[in-house]
Amino acid sequence: MPRKPNNSRQTRTLLAALLDSGLTWRHGYDLSKETGLRSGTLYPLLMRLSEQGLLESRWQEAERPGLPPRHAYRLTASGLALAREQELAAIAAERKEALA
Amino acid sequence: MSTLRGSRRLAVRLARHAALALPGASSPWTEAMRRELAYIADDRAALRWAFGCVLASYKARLAARSGSRTRDALRQAAASGAVMLVIGLAFLENAGGQTEPPRPIPDEPACDAQNTAADTGQMPATGAAGIAPDARRPARRPEASCTDPHSEMRMPLTSEPSRGESQ
Repeated sequence: MPRKPNNSRQTRTLLAALLDSGLTWRHGYDLSKETGLRSGTLYPLLMRLSEQGLLESRWQEAERPGLPPRHAYRLTASGLALAREQELAAIAAERKEALA
Repeated sequence: MSTLRGSRRLAVRLARHAALALPGASSPWTEAMRRELAYIADDRAALRWAFGCVLASYKARLAARSGSRTRDALRQAAASGAVMLVIGLAFLENAGGQTEPPRPIPDEPACDAQNTAADTGQMPATGAAGIAPDARRPARRPEASCTDPHSEMRMPLTSEPSRGESQ
C-alpha cells in the first residue's frame, strides 16, 4: 500500500508549527528550535514542501547590521489547507482514542 | 576568520562543504542553511546545525540521483516496449492476420509420382530399390491432371485379375 504523502510525524510537526504562525514569516533555526527537528531533517522537509507548492520562501534583510540576509518561510494557501486538514484529522484520532 | 574558535570554524567549514555537496539547482537552500549559521550564538549548537546541513545536502543529492535513475529506468522500459511493439506489428503484418498455419486444400488434385509408378509397374526415376507391382491389386489410373492427354493410349495398364487366376 503506498504511503500517504506529507503524513510523517516530522512533517506533521512542521506543518503544525507553520500553521500556528499563520502568515508570519519564519526562519530555519527558529523552526528547528520550536519543532525539535534538526537541520538535517528540517531542510529536506522544507525543500519538499516548497517543491510541492505548499511552502513559500523569500530572502529577508538582516535586522542587525553585519549579518547576512536570511531565508524565511511560510505556508501557501494550499499548505495552510493541508495543515488544517491534518490538524483536524489529529484531533479526530485523539477523540477516537479517548473514546476507545 | 582567525578569531573564530575551533568548533565555530569547523561549523563554517562543514556548512561550506554542505553547499558544495548539494546539487546546483538547490543553491538557495544551501545558502539558507549556511547563512542561518550566523544567527546561532552558541558554538556547539552551530556545529550541530552544520552537521545537519551536511546531512541535508547529502540527502538531497541522493534523492536527486535516485530520481534520475528512476527516470532512466522508465526511459529504458519505454524504449524496450516501443521496440517490442514494432516487432509485434511487423509479425502481424507478415502473417496477414493468420493465427494458424495454412492447411492443404483437399479438392486440389495430388500428383504422386511414386504411387503412379508403382501402380503402373514402372520404377520411379529416383528410387534405388523399386517395389514389385502387385498383380492382384487393381490398377489405379493416374489422376488426369498428372498425365498428359495422350497418356491414356500409351499407359501399360495391367489386366484385371480374373476369378480363375485368384483361385
